[in-house]
Amino acid sequence: MRKLALFGSGSLALLVGAMALAQRDTRAQQAPAPAPPVWMLSPRDSSGLRGPRQPVFFRHDIHAGLNKIPCQYCHYSVAESSEPGLPTTQACMGCHLVIGGTDSSHKAEIKKLREASAQKQPIQWVRVHTLARHAHFPHMRHIKALGPNACQTCHGDVARMAQVFKVNNVNNMGFCITCHLQRKVTRDCSVCHY
Amino acid sequence: MPDETPREGMDRRRFLTVLGVTGAGAAVVSGCSTDRVEKLVPYLVQSEDQVPGVATWYASTCTECAAGCGLHVRTREGRAVKLEGNPDHPVNGGRLCSAGQSALQGLYNPGRLTGPMARQPDGSFKTVSWDEAIATLASRVATADGKLAVLNGQGRGSFTDLLAAWTLALAGRHVRYQPFSYEPLRLANRQVFGTAEIPQYDFARARYLVSFGADFLDGGWLSPVEHQRGFAQAHGYHDGVMAKHVMFAPRMSLTGMNADEWLAPRPGSEAVIALAMAQVLLTERSGNPADANGLRGMLAAYTPERAQEASGIGAEVIRRIAREFASARPSLAVAGGVASQHRGAVTVAAAVNLLNYIAGNVGETVRFGADLDTGDGYGATLDWLGLIDRGGVELALVHEANPAYSLPQATGFAAKFQKARFKVSTSLYLDETARLCDLLLPNHHPLERWDDARPRRGVTGLMQPVMEPVFQTMATGDLLLRVSQKAGGKLAHFAAPSWETYLKQQWLQVVGTDEAWRAALARGGVYQAAPVAPVRLAAGAQQLAVAAPAFDGGDGPGRFFFAAVPSVLGDGRFANRPWLQELSDPVTKITWHSWVEIHPEVAARLDVQEGEILRVTSPHGSMEAPAYIYAGLHPDVVAVPLGQGHTSYGDYATGRGANALDLLDGQGGQGFLPYFATTVTLTKTRQWKQVAKTEGTPRQLGRGIADAMTLAQAKERLTPALAAQAEGHEEHEVNTEREVEAIKGFRDSQLSKRRHGDYVAEHPGWGMTIDLARCTGCSACVTACYAENNIPWVGEEAILRGREMTWMRIERYWEGGEDGEPLEARFVPMLCQHCDNAPCEPVCPVYAAYHTPDGLNGQVYNRCVGTRYCANNCPYKVRYFNWSAYARQAFVAPLDLQLNPDVTVRARGVMEKCTFCIQRIRGAQNTARLEDRPLRDGEVVTACAQACPSEAIVFGDLRDGASRVSRIASDHRGYHVLGDLNVRPAVTYLAKVQHRVEA
Repeated sequence: MRKLALFGSGSLALLVGAMALAQRDTRAQQAPAPAPPVWMLSPRDSSGLRGPRQPVFFRHDIHAGLNKIPCQYCHYSVAESSEPGLPTTQACMGCHLVIGGTDSSHKAEIKKLREASAQKQPIQWVRVHTLARHAHFPHMRHIKALGPNACQTCHGDVARMAQVFKVNNVNNMGFCITCHLQRKVTRDCSVCHY
Repeated sequence: MPDETPREGMDRRRFLTVLGVTGAGAAVVSGCSTDRVEKLVPYLVQSEDQVPGVATWYASTCTECAAGCGLHVRTREGRAVKLEGNPDHPVNGGRLCSAGQSALQGLYNPGRLTGPMARQPDGSFKTVSWDEAIATLASRVATADGKLAVLNGQGRGSFTDLLAAWTLALAGRHVRYQPFSYEPLRLANRQVFGTAEIPQYDFARARYLVSFGADFLDGGWLSPVEHQRGFAQAHGYHDGVMAKHVMFAPRMSLTGMNADEWLAPRPGSEAVIALAMAQVLLTERSGNPADANGLRGMLAAYTPERAQEASGIGAEVIRRIAREFASARPSLAVAGGVASQHRGAVTVAAAVNLLNYIAGNVGETVRFGADLDTGDGYGATLDWLGLIDRGGVELALVHEANPAYSLPQATGFAAKFQKARFKVSTSLYLDETARLCDLLLPNHHPLERWDDARPRRGVTGLMQPVMEPVFQTMATGDLLLRVSQKAGGKLAHFAAPSWETYLKQQWLQVVGTDEAWRAALARGGVYQAAPVAPVRLAAGAQQLAVAAPAFDGGDGPGRFFFAAVPSVLGDGRFANRPWLQELSDPVTKITWHSWVEIHPEVAARLDVQEGEILRVTSPHGSMEAPAYIYAGLHPDVVAVPLGQGHTSYGDYATGRGANALDLLDGQGGQGFLPYFATTVTLTKTRQWKQVAKTEGTPRQLGRGIADAMTLAQAKERLTPALAAQAEGHEEHEVNTEREVEAIKGFRDSQLSKRRHGDYVAEHPGWGMTIDLARCTGCSACVTACYAENNIPWVGEEAILRGREMTWMRIERYWEGGEDGEPLEARFVPMLCQHCDNAPCEPVCPVYAAYHTPDGLNGQVYNRCVGTRYCANNCPYKVRYFNWSAYARQAFVAPLDLQLNPDVTVRARGVMEKCTFCIQRIRGAQNTARLEDRPLRDGEVVTACAQACPSEAIVFGDLRDGASRVSRIASDHRGYHVLGDLNVRPAVTYLAKVQHRVEA
């Protein structure tokens, strides 16, 4: 009986988890992103933004959108490694030693960065895109095949996002396979799963 | 118990549907779900040499034994994950043994001391700060002038120079200690050639090898990887040529198993055999060195007949071997193994020196001049202990040595060592010696610190920190400098600001410029040809007095010669590494515990079965261990492996097995520890222990797994099947015509499934060849596979249930050994054969096992639901099931830092197996694609092929007819294991070649 009980409770947990997943996915599909000039938003209005709240309200829309900084300036290893690379605190400070922000809300966020840098504490970003550990995704192969600005194929138009959110469930194998089928490239399991 | 959980709407079918949605069962939280909040933590400052996701390699030097092999350390995201040999290094040429590779488990060992500790009045240890610890030591140093005793287990190098100078400044006694220090070789060389140095042995050039108890393939003799490389070159068959290897030893060790003829002389009689061979050479062969003729008089008495009387080996056999030895030039005879280090070991080595000299090998395959650093010897260590025992030693420092374990109990180490007023250990672990000390100042691991090593002349290896220290440890070099600055006085001139600066200054004095220093760092050191010092016969050569060596306890009925033999655990220093505890002993295939080897005749006489616990009693002590019945012994000998029986060495070693050293005499009157110098009695205890061995059936039973042919057959270019026919074995037709047809149809349908998941480009067809004429069974590939593929060790209990996870294992089969036939061993490295016609694939209900377009037998972990049908259907038993969450116990922190990030850590309930190192294949393909070029032959090297010191394993593309692996696979010796099953393996074995003894 103990075994059955465990089985029951375990399956319930599974079921709840599955439903939560399913619900979230539909929500993501139902809400098409409106496209206002989001960099005009101030952090005070950020409560409605999608995606996880980050320790520093880093604005991809300002950096990559308004200022047109290439993705690879910060995500430096994406063309040579399976990992895209995160900008180091030093890299951020390379600009923000000088750039202090235009309005008070910007200044407040940049101050967080400067304090973290002064205290030699890295900023612990909340991960948005997590791939299951049994799948391997070589970023560099995809950049090589699709070009240096192909990031949005999977990550969406990050240059227009005030706060990064998940446009595509990159952890869903169907998402990968659809593209691989369209492009007539490998869909052998062992290319990613090993 | 009532079922309290509501279960409405949850039948089995629905449950599986949910499972399907959320991924693999228990992995809801840790696997596919993205609900878990993960943090991305960037670097503060861009590291110059680290790119996330890309391995960074550092050159270093292995310090696990005295040989000093070169290392390439693979690091990922700032932690060392794999050790490989440095291809530029003259000692190991890119290869590495199991022990060397397991240094990672020393680095990440959970039993490491996390920081300095001081003994409290109640006897316990308390963590202290480094400042406190240094202040304590500095105050002790102040009173230790002239009363300091230092035991140093580290080899020659800048650190040892510093420690020696430091000790000298305080007028202390500095002794360098290695448990295996091969003094008999030095003493014999002094007697015969007037030099106490150890020569270089060039196995590669030898056309005929005779070993008198020197286990040069077991890891217990001088420079194992170098010797194995040379041996494989000489003894591996190529173009109709192959050296012959004969071994005289009372026990068939791994070296004996690789011999074409293993002969078990009566213990202590090797010297007479060597002299008899020398006598035959001198009387029957011309062209011997002129001064060797002076030995005629002395050797005249040593006839093969006298050798027969002493050893029990037929005079005609000795004469034949002597003649064969004489006709091969150059040849090589070696002696001085630990396992046969009896009280006459010096005479044996001296006799072998004479044999080599007469045969003209000295200067050819035996070259003096390089020397090998093996410490100051056993005598010096006992003197050091005597110094403490006499009292008056204020401060004793033990560095990288564990004499409380590695000296026999009979030396009374613990009691004598206690007489030192204050005892300090720099051990990384709380080992037996550290436990006796008052202050523990754990050193950095060699992979965490700056250091260098001069194992022999011409080779200077550098070590550099490849990562941040795992714990709050301190390099002992820094410790000495800081203590010196604190203590001042006579130590004030040790003023270098840090150990790193000190080391670099030493190096700049030698290499000159900063560029040269950096170049040395990149190459892992400075390598030059070793100087060659010609030697002549010394006067002592004439005064060889051969007497039967004494054995404590005497010879008599019911008494057995007791051999303490080196094992994969070395002198015991590797016992805290689960990789090596779980690595099956090459001879017995036993893991995790001690055993007593007894001859089948003795077992029958005493009515002992395998696993019965025997008490072994010598005049000096006793031990208990389960019996293992082994035909590869002289009937009067029992053998016990060294290395187990630790009382304090971390969880993996402590309380495991028994220490064979307890039975030995500690007296070193001759300057060495006689490991083979007592006789013992065996007592049945009527208790049992199931022996945790990984072997199945020890015989092939005609299945044709490990094929072999004679040298003559190989020269005729016979295939293994034809060779078997020539031996009188008929070929069996196992399949009827209809079966053959059915198999063909099955194969076609299997191959057609490859269109699923097709690539755009032409596919390679990955394959492997394993040359059994080169494979020695050393098992370096097994450890390499564990390290590369995140294979969990499972422990003794699981091994007893046959649940080991060895993706790559070494199968050992016995031939002969009955009815007077010589015992013969064959090794087959067994891994997934990646069959084209794989029986595991069609039985998988969820397509987890499938065939990839590039010829791999894929295993998709996230699809696998654990039916285990595939393993049932695999004829090679190479699929391993995760019965329990092995990874959770195997990779406890900080061992998890070693995990290869490119390989999935498999969860419970998943089938796993060799992938042909698919992560390396994909990695090489990625690199080639980024560089817009096709893959090159030899670009993908599997972990096993990379490690193999014999270079027996070759990996590559079988569809490319020009590739190295294709050429080797089409060799006439090539065959497939269980080829009759028509599973079409991608692994081709090359049959072993043997020198058959002509009767």
